[in-house]
Amino acid sequence: MSIPTRRASARWTTPLTVALTCLGLAACGGTSTTSPLTVAAFNPFSGVDAAFGPEIMAGCNAAATLVNRSGGVIGHKVVCSSVDTRGDAADAVPAADKMLATTTNLVGVIGPSSDEAQATVPVINASNVPMFADTGEAAFDKSSYRYFYRIIPADDVKGYALALWAHEHHYTRAAAVFGNDIGAQSDVPTLLTAFKKLGGKFVINEKLVPGQSSYRTEVEQLLSANPQVIFTEADPQTSATFFSELRQLGRLLPIIGTDTTLEGPWKKAVGGAIGAANLNQHFVGMQPSALTSGPAVSVYTKAVHSSTYGTDPYSMADYDSLNLIAFAMLAAHSTHPSKFSPQIVRIASGGPGAVTVHTFAAGAHALASGKTIHYVGAAGPIAFDQWHNSSGAFEAVDSKGNVIGMVSAADIAALKGASPTG
Amino acid sequence: MHLLVASIGFGLVTASILAIAAVGFTLQFGVTNILNLAYGAIMTASAFLAYAITTSGLGIWAALAICSVASGIGCVLLNRAIYTPYVRRGTGLFGMIIVTISVSLVVEFTLQAIHGSSFVSLSLPATRSYHFGAMVFTGLQLAIIAIAVLAMLCVHVLLRYTKLGKAMRATAADPVLARSCGISTGRVIDLTWLVSGAMCGLAGVVLVINVTSFDTSTGGEFLIPIVAAAILGGVGQPYGAMLGAVIIGVSTEVAAGLFDPTYKDMVSFVILVGFLLLRPQGLFAEIATQKEVVA
Repeated sequence: MSIPTRRASARWTTPLTVALTCLGLAACGGTSTTSPLTVAAFNPFSGVDAAFGPEIMAGCNAAATLVNRSGGVIGHKVVCSSVDTRGDAADAVPAADKMLATTTNLVGVIGPSSDEAQATVPVINASNVPMFADTGEAAFDKSSYRYFYRIIPADDVKGYALALWAHEHHYTRAAAVFGNDIGAQSDVPTLLTAFKKLGGKFVINEKLVPGQSSYRTEVEQLLSANPQVIFTEADPQTSATFFSELRQLGRLLPIIGTDTTLEGPWKKAVGGAIGAANLNQHFVGMQPSALTSGPAVSVYTKAVHSSTYGTDPYSMADYDSLNLIAFAMLAAHSTHPSKFSPQIVRIASGGPGAVTVHTFAAGAHALASGKTIHYVGAAGPIAFDQWHNSSGAFEAVDSKGNVIGMVSAADIAALKGASPTG
Repeated sequence: MHLLVASIGFGLVTASILAIAAVGFTLQFGVTNILNLAYGAIMTASAFLAYAITTSGLGIWAALAICSVASGIGCVLLNRAIYTPYVRRGTGLFGMIIVTISVSLVVEFTLQAIHGSSFVSLSLPATRSYHFGAMVFTGLQLAIIAIAVLAMLCVHVLLRYTKLGKAMRATAADPVLARSCGISTGRVIDLTWLVSGAMCGLAGVVLVINVTSFDTSTGGEFLIPIVAAAILGGVGQPYGAMLGAVIIGVSTEVAAGLFDPTYKDMVSFVILVGFLLLRPQGLFAEIATQKEVVA
């Protein structure tokens, strides 16, 4: 066996180093041929909105499982990773920077939520990564962010839905009891406008400071104003303390909550504080309407493996978000976000000759056959406007999760266009 | 006027919870000079222990007693195992603050790992409301006020009429001189952590009796008014902390009644800042502020 001389070693060392460096750069700078593609669930996994993150992961993982079962995307598996924003912009910005700098093959983001959207949407957009935000903030109704998509209704739409439900039940004197955080407060302006348009009157508008040991003074003020109904959104602990003290000081009133109040932690906290029977008797929450049956829903329900998230419209929207990203990559034959992102709107909107598909398997098959597709997923049809926003009808849900009524998209649109009464 | 009087009543409940927590916090700081910012997290741990106890079938009053004792012992062990080694290595005031913040995070996230991030509620006995003029209290809230008054009396007796109380005050005033006078400052410090920890545990349970539902961050969120009450009263001054708690608790609720409740925290903290401008050492200030951490 010959031993290489120093000169011979050097002759091999240089090209090897160059080759290894190129490989390393290729791994850093683009998508390697088989490495998994990552979709990040960028949301609170801790803090007061810690329930948001698992909701996203449920939908994301369900979709990723089905995508991978159908062969993945252009030879890649898809994985979901969790990025905890702690529900705080100060924590979320460094978390976004780290995610964007260190996540290999990041092809999409599900999030951010209202807690951190204002601070992080520009950061994610600047990195050319498509995001499916679950914020309802009206600030994004007409945003110019190219990579921003929203398939849940904006908060201003939510305000109309709450007001319409109250009007349908003949309430004319209402109290607004919302947390003073940006997420909750973004619901309030359109709620006030919409209820007034319907002839109603707000007798009190309370902004609750979260995390207090008592809200008895606020409760006393509310009772003095004598409302018939309470519109609400606040974090679980604040709401639990407030409604518990309302029960102690006076009487429980009908409560109409936003979709946030339909989260498990909110119902658990408030139900624990005022009693499950009281909650069921007095509470209804309004949430974006999701399909309850059909091919997309049955596939989703089997994949999500969870009774909690099986009918959760947010998890369904998150499931659809990942499918849209995957379809867009297939349609563009590229995993580069700047190349596939424009396909997202086309696939959601369909167009002449497009084949309507409800599952990833069917869509991948159609695209492979050279057809164009129109994806109608678990959350129902998506119709993006020019600012990449899509919204629909709302459903009223009781504390046990039963749908007890609907507010149609047509009614919401009509109210938005109506002039105030009185 | 009705709302103003009612607000004062509501403020007394808040002040009672604050007083128990702030006196425990400031008592320990006065003797050891460690600003224990893990105090809120330990309150939360006690609340979860109370939840486990009440879920197992024991009543809330048994839970209060058990949590007090457990928290007291836990704080002694925390000091012995974590804080004291740092102090012996010469870690200064600011270094110790970072250590206590670290402990706080470890406790909070350990609770979250064990219990998850969901909310829980204690099983509490149903009580009726009692009216005192415009003031309204539930039976549990009257119990909270009574517990606070009893705890304050016990602290007063301990500090004024027992050898341990005198030793605590001596150690707080000058640990080196106290040691040279034959006081076993190590033992005094252990007992101070025990008393402070017991009050911390008690505060954690009465807090969640009042807020009804809680999660792993509840105690931490309550830490700021606790520290504010302690500072207003004069750092290290148990009697000052009692008065500070009443001022912060009542002013918060009265501000909510008179102004927009959104600003209730702000109003009470404006009072705090304004007062400290006039009297930087707080309401009761006897102990020199430039002490070193006591080992």
